Amino acid sequence: MKSNFLKFGLICALLAAGSFRVLALDGAVVIANPGVAVDSLTADALKDLLTGKTKYWDGGQAVIITVLPDKTDAALQQACGMDTSAFKTFWQRLAFSGRGQEPKKAADAAELVQLVASTKGAIAIVPADAALTGVKKLEIK
Amino acid sequence: MSHSKLTHKTILALTASILAAGSGQAYELNLGTNMPPIDFHGFISQGFLASTKYDYLANNTKDGSFKFSEAAINASINPFPRTHIAAQGFLFDVGNVGEYFPALDYASIDYTFCDEFGVRAGQIRRPEGIYNSIQDIDLARTSVLLPQGMYDSRWRDFSGSIDGGSVFGNVDLHKVGGLGYEAYGGMVHLADDGGIARLLQDSLRNPPTHYKHVNGFPEFGLQLWYNTPVDGLRFGYAFVDALDFSYDYDVNIPPFISLSYHSTINAVEHHLSAEYLYKAWTFQAEYKYATYYSHDQINGARQSITISSTDTWYVSAAYRFNKWLEAGAYYTEDYANVGDRNGSTLATHSDGYQKDAALSLRVDPTSWWVFKVEGHYIRGTALLYDTASNPSRGGDGWFMLAVKTTFSF
Repeated sequence: MKSNFLKFGLICALLAAGSFRVLALDGAVVIANPGVAVDSLTADALKDLLTGKTKYWDGGQAVIITVLPDKTDAALQQACGMDTSAFKTFWQRLAFSGRGQEPKKAADAAELVQLVASTKGAIAIVPADAALTGVKKLEIK
Repeated sequence: MSHSKLTHKTILALTASILAAGSGQAYELNLGTNMPPIDFHGFISQGFLASTKYDYLANNTKDGSFKFSEAAINASINPFPRTHIAAQGFLFDVGNVGEYFPALDYASIDYTFCDEFGVRAGQIRRPEGIYNSIQDIDLARTSVLLPQGMYDSRWRDFSGSIDGGSVFGNVDLHKVGGLGYEAYGGMVHLADDGGIARLLQDSLRNPPTHYKHVNGFPEFGLQLWYNTPVDGLRFGYAFVDALDFSYDYDVNIPPFISLSYHSTINAVEHHLSAEYLYKAWTFQAEYKYATYYSHDQINGARQSITISSTDTWYVSAAYRFNKWLEAGAYYTEDYANVGDRNGSTLATHSDGYQKDAALSLRVDPTSWWVFKVEGHYIRGTALLYDTASNPSRGGDGWFMLAVKTTFSF
């Protein structure tokens, strides 16, 4: 009886984890190329983008992930559940098996914003204090 | 131009490209204002293998062998909405397999109708378990050698790619996670100097047998991944049906006996996987069970079917201490016949099993340079295959050292 109660509790916890995912990015915001036809994303939709489950925006434009190594590691972990090394390995697996394109890298926040502004379909996590010129900030619900 | 000269020039050009890249960034080839660029990535690996008792994987590992190399360049582009094209050239050398011969690893186009459904066609990497589609990619793991019973370095022509197509997608199961799938079918083309051919040549090279050739075969399969609501935890199941893999050889004992054999094997595999990424930890476990339905035709007369089964499994754990240091360990067992796990019906009992405990250290000095060192303690000889180089085998334990470095961009 007690073990059945524990099993039920575990199942409820798993269901709750799937249904009430709330995202708060530490010191970072999500930006996209102005041509991307969305203004907000759910936490799950953002995770699907960062893990390659969603590869195209609604209009068919490819999602181009851009990253800033070392500067937004905590936010990346919060957004997709992987630390920077795991994220890199994950995308190497997809890219070298012909199933995706590796994220583009920038050296600093200004370069990242410029890259997102000039690349169709680009999305990125940037430090919250970065100057956001030529990009749109996406609200994460 | 000889093959070896071509090969060395190819490798030198690739190495120079990678080292010149330096930053680890991909190359981009811009095609014009309205077209996205073509992304290029690549890597080159050089390894070293040394064993205390047997020649294993490479030739002459008892004395140490550098015949353990890989290199690849891939290109990808999204030229039209929802369309992705990717291709990879690959060369490798493991012992007497590969021998730096450049080959097309994959070249495919896919169209994604929606997250739940897409189609892929061309020469495609075959998904099976955690590593089959990326077993060539040293960058994508902690260890130097994957568990060889499950991902044999010498069998890549058999296990890697098919010419055909697949359907794939990810189905959102909302509160209970998501389901990823890829179902595929196509033809496997085998090279006469590939891993399977070499294995057959080794086993059929002594007179009166005379190996002739291997034949391509159709293959179908399915890979499912259940992504649980727990971040980083997923479970997989793969099914593979390799239809009528066949090879030919003769048995000649002049002047009276001249037999022409056509041997056919239908292999059916079931493959279970589990992976959990938790903070800096990676935990993995896999199990594969294969059944082989074999029959011979001798001078055209069909013989009765024999049925045999093998299985293999491993558990592994890896921990990343920081950006440049990672350590891992795995334990794996492989059985050549599930009905005889001790090999008691074999002339050499240890040919019935192989058990391997490995400890790995991975260092990433830069984002584009990886260095690994790994120690193995192995019992059993089921995966040696080359019995001519290892005529005296037994169940005593033996050690193997594997070192590898990879440069990438």
